[in-house]
Order: sequence, then C-alpha cells, then structure tokens
Amino acid sequence: MKRRDWSRLGLARPRLRGGDLLRESALSTLRHPGRSLVTVVGTVLGAAAYVSTLGLGATMSGQVSSVFDARRATEVVVQPEDAGLDRSWTDGAGQRLARLNGVVRAGSRVAVGERPVRRTIGETGAGTAVPVIGADAEALRVMDPALTAGRLFDRFHDERRVPVALLSTSVAARLAINRVGVAVFVGDDAYTVIGIYHDVARRDEAMAALIVPYALGEELVGADGGGIATRDVLVETAPGAAQIVSRQAPLAIRPEAAEDLRAIAPPDPRSLRREIEGDLTRSTVVLSLIALVIGTISIGNAATAAIAVRAPEIGLRRALGARPRHVFVQLVAETSLLGAAGGAVGALLGILTVSVVALANAWTPSVDLRAALVACAVSTAAGLLAGLVPAARAVRIPPVRALQR
Amino acid sequence: MSLLSLRGISRTYDDGQPVYALRPTTLDIAAGEYVSVTGPSGSGKSTFLNVLGLLDEPTTGSYRVGSVETVGGGQLLHGAVRGQLFGFVFQAFHLLSGRTALENVEIGMLYGSPRRRQRRRLAVEALERIGLAHRTHADPRQLSGGERQRVAIARAIAGRPSVLFCDEPTGNLDSGNTANVMSLLRELNDQGLTLVVVTHDPDVAAHAGRRLRVEDGEVSER
Repeated sequence: MKRRDWSRLGLARPRLRGGDLLRESALSTLRHPGRSLVTVVGTVLGAAAYVSTLGLGATMSGQVSSVFDARRATEVVVQPEDAGLDRSWTDGAGQRLARLNGVVRAGSRVAVGERPVRRTIGETGAGTAVPVIGADAEALRVMDPALTAGRLFDRFHDERRVPVALLSTSVAARLAINRVGVAVFVGDDAYTVIGIYHDVARRDEAMAALIVPYALGEELVGADGGGIATRDVLVETAPGAAQIVSRQAPLAIRPEAAEDLRAIAPPDPRSLRREIEGDLTRSTVVLSLIALVIGTISIGNAATAAIAVRAPEIGLRRALGARPRHVFVQLVAETSLLGAAGGAVGALLGILTVSVVALANAWTPSVDLRAALVACAVSTAAGLLAGLVPAARAVRIPPVRALQR
Repeated sequence: MSLLSLRGISRTYDDGQPVYALRPTTLDIAAGEYVSVTGPSGSGKSTFLNVLGLLDEPTTGSYRVGSVETVGGGQLLHGAVRGQLFGFVFQAFHLLSGRTALENVEIGMLYGSPRRRQRRRLAVEALERIGLAHRTHADPRQLSGGERQRVAIARAIAGRPSVLFCDEPTGNLDSGNTANVMSLLRELNDQGLTLVVVTHDPDVAAHAGRRLRVEDGEVSER
C-alpha cells in the first residue's frame, strides 16, 4: 500500500526517460568541451593505436602477399636428405612428378660447383671460376631464364649431349662475351654459347651461372671424380598447389624410400600473413589496453573531481524530483558518452593514419571495420566503468545541498 | 483539510550529543496560504524549510502531505512530491549555464510525467506568466539577477505545483528587483499557489498573510 502513496496524491512515478537521459548527459558533457577532450585523450589514443596498428598490419600483410612472387609461390624443390645419395633417384623423376595433379612440369638438375671457364683452350692462367649447373629441358623451363640474346636448349640437346651453354649476363660480362655462337671451354670441353639471360623466374642461384644440358653436367661431375655435385628436382606447380605437391613429391619420386627425400615448398602466403598479423595483434592489444587503462583512470578522475563542483546541480536535480538512481545513471551515461566519443575519435584517427600511410606508400589500405567497432565498444565500456565510482559518490549527495549557499 | 500537516516534527544532529536544529513542532499549512519564516541566521529556519520541502528527513514526528504520511515514505514518494507537488526557489538561483532560460525551465519537469513537447509548452507558458517571454533563448549569464530569479521561479511553477518553497528568494537582489519578485510571488499566491518564504528581510516577510518565527530551533506564530 505504502509503495503507491505517490499515486494517492495524484502524482506520477518519478522517472527519467531514455531520450531525456541521453540529452541531459550529452548537454552536461558538451558544457565543457575542452575539459571533456582532455579527459578522453587516453581512450582516443587507445582506440587510435588499436585501429591503426591492426589496419597497418592488415595493409602491410596484404602488401606482403601481393609482393610475394606469384611465380616463386608455384615452386617446389626436391632434394636428398643425404647429399651422398646415389644419383639414380633423379632418373625419370620429372616424368613421374608430371603425372601428379597440380604439377605443370618437373625436371632434374645437377649443380656441378665452380669450374674454370676460358674463352680459348690455349689461354694461360686458371680461367674464370663459374658455377656450372646441368639442367634437363624441363628443369630449364622451370627456372625460366629471361633471354637477352639467343635461345634456350631443349630435350634434343640433352638427349644427344650437344655441347651448348647458357650464360647469365654477369658471367658473360666476366668472360667478355656479348653475342651468341661463340665457344667457351669448361675445363677442356668446348661448348657453344646459344643464349644469354639476364634474369630467372625461379632459383636465384642460376643468376650467376653457366647452364649446360643435364647429361653433360653429369659428365662434368664424372670428369672431376664426383662427390661435390648436388642434385635436385625442380617442380613448377599450378597456383596454390605447391603445398600439396610438396607433400606428395618424395613418395611419387621414390616410393620405396620416400624418407630419403625432402621437398621444400615456399611458405604459404596465408600462414605468413597470419603470422604477421598474429604478432601485431598481440603487441597492439597490450599497447591499446595500457592506453585504455590510463583513459579509464583519467575519465574516472575527472568525473570524481567534478562531483564536488557539481554538488549544487546534483542537489537541484534531487529537489526537482530525481531519484538517486536517476543521478547514478546520468553520471554513468556521461562518462560512457565520453568513452564512446573518445573511442569514435580514436577509431577515426586510426583509419586516417592507415589511409595516409597507405597513400604515401601507394598501398591498398585495409581497415577492419570490426576493429573500429571493437575500439568504440571497449572505450564505451571503459567510460562506463570509470563512471561507477563518481556516480556512487554523487548518489550520496543529499538534496539539501541545493539550498546551501 | 490542511495541505501540510506537522505533528511533533523535530530534527536533531547527533554530533556526540544530540543537538536540536528543530525542536518538536506541530503546525498545519492550508492550501493557498502565504507563509513567511523569519529568524536570525543559525536559528534553524533552513532546517525547517528542508524538512517541510522533503529535502531532509525529520528525526521524530509525523509529516503528512495531503492524506499521505511522508516520514519513512521512501525515495519514490519523496521524489514524486518534490518534483511534482512542490516547487523550489533558491537564493543562489541554481540555473545551469550553457542552457537557455527555456531549457532551464524545462528541467523543472524533467523527472515528472510530461513528455518533452509538453514540457516545452509548459515552460513557454511559465516564462510568459513571469513576463520573460522575450528572454526565452537567453543564456542565464546574459540575464540580470532579477531576471535569473524570475527564470528560477518559472522553473519552480512550470509543472503547476501546489506549494512553492522559497529560500531567501531576494537575498541576492537589489531593492528594485526585490519588489519585482515580491509582486510576482503575491500574484502567484493570488492565483491559489501556497507559498512558504524563508527570509531575514522583514519587508519581504510583511507580504505574507501568516508569519512564523524560528529561534533556537523553536517555531512560533507571530
């Protein structure tokens, strides 16, 4: 009965509507825009740090994967676990691998090591030491040399053991060769230079080398007694198939002892990106949380300090019919609004930072809108948390304070 | 039936040993009365007004507003009575800066039942009643002391209360503005509003039909 006494007097239940609450809180907050701005610096910085580092991380890893050589991502190299493994494992490896799904072509190579190379047989001195690589026609096409002059050799040269050679421009320059058709001597064997290349799509070690047909490469190994040659099988895969091919290749080449072989695939661009983002996210979250804690404390401090100044206003509100809970929710709403505003400003700053940095580097900016929303939500929660202590104090201000002068 | 009815109401402050700010008081105030409360500073007239206005809880006694007992009535009852049945005018005005006169008047009804549009209508009406319709959108800082107190009165009466409590309403005003505010209060009382005015100014007290005096916490009729 007693709880309805106010209605017996024909009065309405004291209330504060949601819209009115928001309006009152916004007006109180905007009354000192400068002071409010200083209070929210912490949350602004926290939100800006969070959004910008996450955005920059995403932008840069997007950059990583686009810079990531598309051709290199389609390359698998199979090597023996033990360098002394008998050369027979490479025989027919290319044909066997070519039957796998996702393999475009595959071929064998033998790296002979550095050999003295001369222009003429009678030349005095040791000659120029040049790394020599023997490659079959398929392996050559996997390396994909970009020719400056001449042509590549093909299967014919390999099977017939035609003594031809490809030089990289750097090796050609050291040998003072500027055209094809001339002869070079590797040891005592003459080779006709049929092509000069200035770049390779895969296998950078071929950038400064002399490439001969595979069979002739093996002969060079034999001529020197062997032992130092390293053999591998190059595989060109369809885009995205490198990971799967690398798992299947050893078994396809050497089913009886696949464990003797090791296939190396380029790192998966997706896992690379995840790695970069994972590192960034952890440090960002820690950094943002520190800024956020500072932000929460500064909002809470300012709001608590303002309580003393606002005591007459709070007393007035009580005299005008506000219940303690109305005072409480208004103060919490005010600090929450501050937090939300700080978070929004910070998120905008973060997006701006990412855009400017991306623009300056001609990157594609990548901003995660979810990160911006998370920053706003967390800042709002921080503001709410910060308001609890001052609001609890304000509730204890008696309405009598309005009359004190 | 009396509007406000006090039976043995007292207020003590327990400061080691109890000190009477208001000795047990029994009196009735009827609807439409114009009551002044005078007394030296520290006599307890502010305590008396606080208890009457439900801004402070009495220590003992019974205080009925209409037919309803308010002692121990809880925040809901006190909030409803303070916000809707009572109006308050303070010596220091307590207008919120950064809000127009109209917005300040609207706050008087914020915790009651009227919705925002109705509050605006009632606030405009109240400003017209006190003759400040032309200052509707002025910031309180641009207003004179007399104008500020009239805005405060508008805030107190906009929600159509039954009782207006004024604590030294002319304390911060010069004689011209004092006369102005007093005639406004006179007018409001003529329209049926119950007035309780605390003042140390005998000229202000002289306007009242019924005069109370507080001395050492003791309330007496004069």
